[in-house]
Order: sequence, then structure tokens, then C-alpha cells
Amino acid sequence: MFKYFIPVLFLLIFIYGVIKKVKPYDAFTSGAKSAIPFTVSIFPYLASIFVLTELFEISGLSNALTNLLSPFFNFLGIPDELIKLVLIKPFSGSGALAIVSDIYTKFGVDSYLSRCASVIYGSSETVFYIAAVYFAKSKKHNLLKPIIISLIASFFSCVFACFICNIL
Amino acid sequence: MNIIFGLIVILSITILIFVNPESVLSAFISGGQKAFDLSIKLVVIYTVWLGVFSIMEQTGLDKKIAKLLKPVNKLLFGNLPDSANEYMSLNISANILGMSGGTTPFGIKSIEELDKYPNTEYAVCMFFILNATSVQLIPSSILALRSQMGSLYSSSVILPTILATLLSSIIGILLCKIFIKRR
Repeated sequence: MFKYFIPVLFLLIFIYGVIKKVKPYDAFTSGAKSAIPFTVSIFPYLASIFVLTELFEISGLSNALTNLLSPFFNFLGIPDELIKLVLIKPFSGSGALAIVSDIYTKFGVDSYLSRCASVIYGSSETVFYIAAVYFAKSKKHNLLKPIIISLIASFFSCVFACFICNIL
Repeated sequence: MNIIFGLIVILSITILIFVNPESVLSAFISGGQKAFDLSIKLVVIYTVWLGVFSIMEQTGLDKKIAKLLKPVNKLLFGNLPDSANEYMSLNISANILGMSGGTTPFGIKSIEELDKYPNTEYAVCMFFILNATSVQLIPSSILALRSQMGSLYSSSVILPTILATLLSSIIGILLCKIFIKRR
């Protein structure tokens, strides 16, 4: 069902374009042209976030934080194996996906831990990455409050994920 | 961002100087390398989405979507300038439909537009929180990975994911309404 979604959407847009007498080739290329300057403009922000993630991981800070927080996380129903995932997701989508695929191999893809990891991955966002990239061209905002709110909200969804995977 | 970046970098380097000083520079370089690799993938994704979007823009389809979402946006963000409403509507629809990569260009443009007007700080915060707690209906990358790893019930996670992501968005919206002042 979902696999038809994008092709049908694209088809409809192109057909609608033809009906509205838009030149499809000219329109597509004029939009596509801006992709490279756009990517170049967000690159420095991407690089900073990735440097941050690397340092956080290699310095052992991420492990230390995992150990520090584990009693609190366990109390809320998040198993030890998933704490690292919960912590890395706000920084790095690819890092989180690597952990998820690790959990799949270790515990079996249909186990409780794996389903839980899938839901945590799918329901939370890379908060710091969004903060860095979305505000690449706009410096005047103080993002501390919105970042904290987003992290709290994501954390609730992780707790909820571990809870609901027990039932469903 | 400056506080978080500065704090984590200083703390990490301090630890690494004692534990493994050689790894500091290589960590920086490997971070940059990963950003570069991702950029190469992103530039292709953006090319496709910005191309398709340009067709939508020239047909006026984007304005129709914006009109459709206007009441919802008004409820969430307050009164918005039309141009910002347009980009924000596209960003939100792309988010809901799980078009990863399609969301970012509209997100950045939304904030640029909002910045042109006074008293949009609340809308900017709410918009960021909505994106950072993404309402996503189809967790496509996870579904792909699950079936690739041989899951028998790869779609069993869809419903819990939708519920969890809805919950995070609702909590985010509520906290934003409570803690961030609307002017």
C-alpha cells in the first residue's frame, strides 16, 4: 500500500503540471538547480553536529552518561540495551540506525527489544541536527527552551514505546 | 547551540587528552567525513524534491495545500504571513508523509520567512518543536531495515510508532503553549 504512495504522488503532480501548462522539464531543472548551493550552505552545520557526535562517543561521555542514567531509565521501563539508542537519537540518525540494526542482529528482529528499538527510532527525531540545520541561516533565536521541550517530549515517547510494545 | 557545542567539545577533549590524545584530531576529521558523505546523499535527495516542488510551485498547488492547512496552522502558530504559511504547510505535509529529505528545504525557508516579520518568535519555537517531535505516519527507513533483516511482522511496529510520535508531538505542543510566551 505504502509503496504506491510516492509514485502516485509524483504522477499526479506531473499530470497536474501538464494540465496547468507548466513546462515540466524547465520547471524541474529550475528547482533542482538550487539543491547544490542549498546543501553547501548547510554543510558546516552538519559537520559541527557530526564532530560533536564523534567526540561524545569516543571520549566515553556517552558510555558514562548511559551508566549514570541507567537506574532512572530502568525505573521508567527502558531496558539497559536501549538506553544508548535513546541518548544517541537526538544527535545522529545514522548513529541511531546503526544501534538499531545491532539490536536486530543480537536479539532477533521480532523480539521485544527490537520492536521497541524500532518504535523509539521511528517516533523520535534528531533534535540537535534539526536545530543546527533549520537555523543555519538565522542566528537570532535562543533555542534552549524549544530544544529542552523537544527532548522531554521525545523522551516521553521512548518511555511510551517500551510500554506499548509490551502490550501490542 | 554555542553552549551545548562548547561544553561537549571542551569536556570531550579534556577527557581524551588523558585517555587517548591521538584520537582527538581523528575524531574531528571523521566527523567532517561523515557530514560530507551524508551531504552527497542529501544533495541528490534535495535535487529530486526541489525539482518536483518547483513544478508544484508553478502550478500553484503549493498555495492550495497552504490554504487547506491554514486553519490548523492558525490554531498552532497564531496569525502567519502568507508566504511563511505556504512553506510551513509544505514542511508539515512532508513530515506527516514521512518524506525524509523533503522536509528540510521547506523548514529552512519557513524560518527565513518568519524572520522577516516581527513577533514571530512563538511561531518559530512551535514550528521547531513540531519538526523535532515529528508526526510521522510511515517510518519508512525502519520498515525497510526490518524486512531486509527478515522480520515476519515488519509492519507490527507501525501502529505503536504512530501512537508514540503523536504522543511526543502533543506533549511538545502543550509544553510550548505553557512555557513559551505568545506575543
